[in-house]
Amino acid sequence: MALLEVTGLVRRFRGLAAVDDLSFSVDEGKTLAIIGPNGAGKTTTFNLISGLLAPNGGTIRLRGADVTRASAHTRTHAGLGRTFQVVQPFHDLDVRGNVMVGALFGSSRSGGLAAARAEAERLCAFVGLGDHLHRAVASLTLADRKRLELARALATKPALLLLDEVMEGLTPVEERDAVALLGRIRAEGVTLLLIEHVMSTVRDLSDHVVVMDYGKKLAEGTYAQIARDPKVIEAYLGTETEG
Amino acid sequence: MKRDLVGWGIFLAVVAAVPWTFVGSDRYLMFLANVMLMFMVMALSWDVVARTGQLSLAHGAFFGLGAYSVAIAFKLWALPPLAGLVVAAIVGGVIALVLGLVTLRLRGIYFAIATLAFAEVWRTVALQVPDLSGGTVGIAMPPLFGGDRIASYYVIGGIFVISLGLSLAVRWSRWNYAVTAVRANETVARVMGLDVVRVKVGMFAASATCAALAGAFYMPFITHTDPFDAFDIGRSVSSLVFPIFGGLYSSAGPVIGTLVMRSLEEYLRVTPPWKDGYQVIYGLVIVVAVLFLPRGMLGLAQRYAGRLPWRFSR
Repeated sequence: MALLEVTGLVRRFRGLAAVDDLSFSVDEGKTLAIIGPNGAGKTTTFNLISGLLAPNGGTIRLRGADVTRASAHTRTHAGLGRTFQVVQPFHDLDVRGNVMVGALFGSSRSGGLAAARAEAERLCAFVGLGDHLHRAVASLTLADRKRLELARALATKPALLLLDEVMEGLTPVEERDAVALLGRIRAEGVTLLLIEHVMSTVRDLSDHVVVMDYGKKLAEGTYAQIARDPKVIEAYLGTETEG
Repeated sequence: MKRDLVGWGIFLAVVAAVPWTFVGSDRYLMFLANVMLMFMVMALSWDVVARTGQLSLAHGAFFGLGAYSVAIAFKLWALPPLAGLVVAAIVGGVIALVLGLVTLRLRGIYFAIATLAFAEVWRTVALQVPDLSGGTVGIAMPPLFGGDRIASYYVIGGIFVISLGLSLAVRWSRWNYAVTAVRANETVARVMGLDVVRVKVGMFAASATCAALAGAFYMPFITHTDPFDAFDIGRSVSSLVFPIFGGLYSSAGPVIGTLVMRSLEEYLRVTPPWKDGYQVIYGLVIVVAVLFLPRGMLGLAQRYAGRLPWRFSR
């Protein structure tokens, strides 16, 4: 059984279909990357899966259970985590406090403050923020904010983690660190679903790739397969007649 | 937290001792002490809602609802004032729950306007049902403990402890992380697993219950009220000015803000050169505070004194 199964998903904005009859599934332990040009509907797809947007059609199943109409927090409790492309830390909480929110209210949400504090500290160390536990989030570099975003999402104890362009804005060195970190997250048994623009990341991390264009699935396969696919090349580079 | 607890323990001991000082023998000062605690309840409870990122202009209305609940319960069933407190708390809590469920999907300014409209409606309602409310003439009941202001002081003191308890409990528990996350970013808070509506409605209802209790105390304390007094928008304004002046999202801020602002208000009101013009000075102080003290008196204290002698929980 697929961990996540999306069938015939549709979302329209004022009649314009941002996501149009999209179907794919993510198997437990396999990393799926969604790629596509800007405006292809990737982030909308994430918002539909995480419950921040309601679809106009289609179904979303998490471990076989239909969560299409479930609220965002119940999906989190069911083991769905996500990060945001534009990092949005909780101001007025320090680094550890931000991560504690996920530990306190995510899918584990047992234990008290002390347990959440310990778990947050473990995750901060895991993502490389161990020395910044009490820093104000406003003073973090972009790379560190991305780490915080990851730690916070991990604190909810997701079985499936949706990563929305975690590499965006990072330097090549930071990118390499981040790829290594995602590898470690995967090794902990978390299944990854990522939206990514950086092709080397897609190549290094993904088992399977879905290419989106104009809200539809354009192609699907391994990285090697889609990299050779003429439809994909056309979507990214345009046809010759278009100049 | 332990040091905070010691600080608050000392503060409560001082509050409890006030009637045994020179204040206790002065009926006017004792009146002020009662009113001071009453406004601290309003400020503390308003701040709890503010922590979820919502600006309530309905706290004065819950105060009025509490006052009328006690008065009407007395009129209809001769219910004694202390039992009336329970009725008022239930009325305030239930109405806040309903209002909360209807409006808490609104944010920021829209929520503020909805609560303002709610507050205005109750005055009209009170005027429209004179058989029950006494209409413009108002409604009266015998004084609490025969007008013994020391006894009444301990009644409002108990309500104050409840409000302070709520404020500190939210501050020191997992709820602190819930409200702070909701205030910072509702979308992310939802993805972190928080039921945002439940957090906001819960805090609003708990807070409104405290405001209704303050009103329920006010009624037998002052013995008479009418729709214009009970549902005075000024009380909603005070409920938000005091914590903003003292320091938002804290327990010490609303207490300090009320102490300073309510004292200033009283001083200006009774001192010859100001008298009727006191509101101008009062307004000026608020404007200056908002402009130059973004984190209130508490922020000022922390900046200049390094640390307060007792680091009250922010």
